[in-house]
Amino acid sequence: MSRVLRDAYIVAAVRTPVGKAPRGMLRNVRPDDMLAHALSAALARCPGLAASEIEDVIAGCAMPEAEQGLNVARVALLLAGFPDSVPGMTINRFCSSGLQAVALAADRIRLGEAEVVIGAGTESMSMVPMGGNKPSYSPQIFERDEHIAIAYGMGITAEKVAQQWSIARADQDRYAAQSHRRAVHAIDSGEFGEEIASFQLVERAPDLLSRKVVITQRTVSVDEGPRRDTSLEALARLRPAFAARGTVTAGNSSQTSDAAAAVVLMSEAALKRYDLAPLGRYLGYAVAGVPPEIMGIGPVAAVPKVLKQVGLRLADLDWIELNEAFAAQTLAVIKELALDPAKVNPLGGAIALGHPLGATGAVRTATLLHGMRRRAQKYGMVTMCIGTGMGAAGVFESL
Amino acid sequence: MSTGQRFIVSKAAVLGAGVMGAQIAAHLVNANVETLLFELPAPEGDPNGNVVRAIANLGKLEPSPLASASRLRYIGQANYQSDLGQLRSCDLVIEAISERMDLKLDLYQKVAPHLGAHTIFASNTSGLSIERLAQAMPAALRPRFCGVHFFNPPRYMYLVELIAASATDLSLLAALESFLVTTLGKGVIRARDTPNFIANRVGVFSMLATMHHAQRLGLSLEVVDALTGPIIGRAKSATFRTADVVGLDTLAHVVSTMAEALPEDPWHRYYALPQWMTALIDGGALGRKSGRGIYQKAGQEIHVYDVATASYRPQTGALDEPVAALLSGKDAGDKFAQLGASAHPQAQFVWAIFRDLFHYCAVHLTDIADNARDVDFALRWGFGWQRGPFEVWQAAGWQQIAALIARDIAAGKAMARTPLPAWVTRRSGAHAAGGSYAPAQDAEVPRSQLAVYRRQLFPDQLLGESAPQGTAIFESAAVRCWHTGDDIAIVSFKSKMHTISDEVLDGVLQAIELAQRNYAALVIWQSEPPFSAGADLTQAGKPGAVERLVAKFQHTTGQLKYSMVPTVAAVDGLALGGGCEFIMHCDRAVASLESYIGLPEAGVGLLPASGGCKEFALRAAQQARGGDQMPFLRRYFEAVAMAQVSRSAVHARELGYLRSTDRVVMNRFELLHVAKAEARLLAEAGYRPPREDRAIPVAGRSVAATIKVYAANLLEGGYISPHDFVIGSKIADTLCGGELEAGSLVDEQWLLDLERRHFMELLATEKTQQRIAHMLQTGKPLRN
Repeated sequence: MSRVLRDAYIVAAVRTPVGKAPRGMLRNVRPDDMLAHALSAALARCPGLAASEIEDVIAGCAMPEAEQGLNVARVALLLAGFPDSVPGMTINRFCSSGLQAVALAADRIRLGEAEVVIGAGTESMSMVPMGGNKPSYSPQIFERDEHIAIAYGMGITAEKVAQQWSIARADQDRYAAQSHRRAVHAIDSGEFGEEIASFQLVERAPDLLSRKVVITQRTVSVDEGPRRDTSLEALARLRPAFAARGTVTAGNSSQTSDAAAAVVLMSEAALKRYDLAPLGRYLGYAVAGVPPEIMGIGPVAAVPKVLKQVGLRLADLDWIELNEAFAAQTLAVIKELALDPAKVNPLGGAIALGHPLGATGAVRTATLLHGMRRRAQKYGMVTMCIGTGMGAAGVFESL
Repeated sequence: MSTGQRFIVSKAAVLGAGVMGAQIAAHLVNANVETLLFELPAPEGDPNGNVVRAIANLGKLEPSPLASASRLRYIGQANYQSDLGQLRSCDLVIEAISERMDLKLDLYQKVAPHLGAHTIFASNTSGLSIERLAQAMPAALRPRFCGVHFFNPPRYMYLVELIAASATDLSLLAALESFLVTTLGKGVIRARDTPNFIANRVGVFSMLATMHHAQRLGLSLEVVDALTGPIIGRAKSATFRTADVVGLDTLAHVVSTMAEALPEDPWHRYYALPQWMTALIDGGALGRKSGRGIYQKAGQEIHVYDVATASYRPQTGALDEPVAALLSGKDAGDKFAQLGASAHPQAQFVWAIFRDLFHYCAVHLTDIADNARDVDFALRWGFGWQRGPFEVWQAAGWQQIAALIARDIAAGKAMARTPLPAWVTRRSGAHAAGGSYAPAQDAEVPRSQLAVYRRQLFPDQLLGESAPQGTAIFESAAVRCWHTGDDIAIVSFKSKMHTISDEVLDGVLQAIELAQRNYAALVIWQSEPPFSAGADLTQAGKPGAVERLVAKFQHTTGQLKYSMVPTVAAVDGLALGGGCEFIMHCDRAVASLESYIGLPEAGVGLLPASGGCKEFALRAAQQARGGDQMPFLRRYFEAVAMAQVSRSAVHARELGYLRSTDRVVMNRFELLHVAKAEARLLAEAGYRPPREDRAIPVAGRSVAATIKVYAANLLEGGYISPHDFVIGSKIADTLCGGELEAGSLVDEQWLLDLERRHFMELLATEKTQQRIAHMLQTGKPLRN
């Protein structure tokens, strides 16, 4: 039985502000609560759509354990007050989990097996560290030499990319400074206003004098990562973080972060039924594998693959959200694919804005769709490298 | 005490968060004394900003004033504006603000109304008159006022001078002395209220004499340091490196105190810094704190100030061979005679500085100290001299040296014309069997009879004093086993650095055997640090013999743990490798604060194989209580693989070498007393050895792989060498029980066999052989 693929439209794309981990503003916010907030906020942007009409919530999470364990998608949607009838699924493809969730949601619709599906992502790197709470590696890694790269930390892989693609320390630092500059400018220009659903923080602390629990509340609505005081000189002073004589520092690497995001997708029929205007159309998604020791180069394999699928050329793209895991790999990808630097991360990237692993794909989808719409641009892409050597890329059309 | 009550310091305060004040506060919290640190309120922002900065700075000082960084938070922050009320709850208040009489008097008036009814208030002045300071206190408070002079750095310098004013309550002073000795672990000398007290008065005169003679004989400054360091029994920092550490401005202050307060002193005209040093101070070269002083870092080198050119230059001067040969001579009397007779300027110089030092001490003993012992200990404990001036003199032949000094005085060669006091010529030394010479009594006086000193079974020894030998149980070439008249056996090593050889193992095994049969407990104690530098590496011979020796080591540590007699390790100074493993297997360790404990085998390409890895595997299993062992194993792995050596006994507990049941003792001379008490307690409680665990759950191969992943990233990052990785992998495998599934149950012997096998495998590698050879030749680890 053959079917004709339908279109999948994005009607809402929202996110929390991104907090720094592990000591930032969202450090005490549970990732299930963050996701519940993103889900509620996304639904609120779709007047006329009842929660009961949502046929699935697919959420990405890179370290789905502890506070974001169990099935965080299902837990969060219940916390958000969605009815019991709405199912939920948590998926993991490390750093592309959020984008993968959007792609899976779109595919359910494109296949005609669902009308309304949410793709989302959540990650609290404050609560669940990179690698999880109890990392455990296979002894086979040391039994066969070709497996050793499974053991490498991301920083080591960035060093290898820097070496192989001759990305100098100074260029990495300059790129990092630019990321902060762009992000700060974007915040000051209100670029993120539409996509961010401000978050009401509630914190409980003991007052040892009055012997009472003191509850403080405040609303956060601005990303915490970008630094106004970053300078090339300050970046140049940092020591290598992963290799004794390396070039990759904490300053030219992405920040660890906390955030959640949700993207509501629906069919054309559903658009009409609920009388909603789409933000954009989902065009396609591809993922590809590369050697684990140079995982940062992943987009070089994924980007041509997805462009071929959707029948576009690089030059057709107006905006590329290329996740800045490290300045080294970002620059290597830009070099290898001959990307136009002006189109890459015009509002800054993960070095400034942060990289909440499993949420990042959904977060940057929201940034791309709102940004392109404001600029009346047409085609855009979200792409990233993925630990253990993969790349992912998704293409969207702004409407 | 006069009140009949115990003197308790539940809380202390230090006024003044300068270099000394903050470090005294740090040492108080090292001793678990809750402490408030006061400073002037900051003009803007947090009123405690000044104190907060001072406390943060403590974390950066080297060597660290803190027994562990975790102690920092026990120092409370306070300022004179809002927190004086808190002084009421402090039992001891130490004032350590800058050395200005006007500022001190002003502060005293401010704090006096806030002191508690029993508070002792003491000034850490290094030279101001205690009597004059006392007069600033209301009469009612004067009995509780005294001087308490710490030396920099206060954690490491043993000396504290205690100075009474005329109204000081002497019973209170005794109580404070006991507190300083036991709780803070200090060596207390009662000093007279004379300018700069004892140690600085003599020590600074010695520096002035050194500079005088150096200038007279045209010696460069680095040559002076070569001549006044370890070769004559002084600290490694000798004269000018010491001055840089102290601070040239501080030195100038101490000297000017002497110049102002001692106008009648026969050496008064020398109480001034040489012109060139004053010029350095005026130019902002104050020593280490300002980045340059007499020495200055120039890239990798350290340049020295050249007085002639008034600029820094590479160090070129050195000790001349004939003088070096003279100085290393064995016969002290002969040495001084030859130095004095030599025409060599370096030899002349050494004779002259000692001659004038002896002369000065003999003349001033009456004014500054109760007795000669106090002068000698003050210089040893406060300036790091191996022997005090009177001891050096006496060792060289009292009368013979006295005659040489008298000859030089008569010839106008000595710095002052004052004749030697009569007591010098009447006596044959400053120290004798009955005690040390006290001019006031014109007799020898014994050591202090204060009860606290009864805890020092082996106090620091003066020249001619011999440590109590106790009663020998048996003695071999390697160990001595003995007792102090009761039923607790003590075993002490006789090897250099107390290394553990085959023969030491024999001795320890024999001691355990005898103690089991005839004694209540066994204590391992050394008469001086280190506790043990580890296995005797020179005994690494043929593989078969080495493996038998390793097995014997394992058997010995096993006996320390499982024999039928309680075993206690009394630890002071270094305790490395096998020494550390001995500690880990004794029922208890009692460690002085300055215990530097670790398992540095990885540095010589090996792993701990006397039960150290086995104990860590066992402890991780016990601590995890059936849960995840990784958090514990990771810490132990880091300690072993990175050859971490503790920087104090408190730190050793954090690293896992000491257990929470092990004790930390502040005063090293009380170590044996406490170790015996601990041994007694174990025996009295009906000692039974721990039950051997024959079902130890191991972490298994996946955890080993996960630890190796961590090491693989260090290797790939260029932080460790491939051989480091090999060693690390074997340590990980040993700690995790080898090629087993997680949770497999093994016994101790299984882990010991693994240790031994991996040790032998590493020993067979070329790189490990190179590391061992390098260590034996140079005393330093080789990174290969």
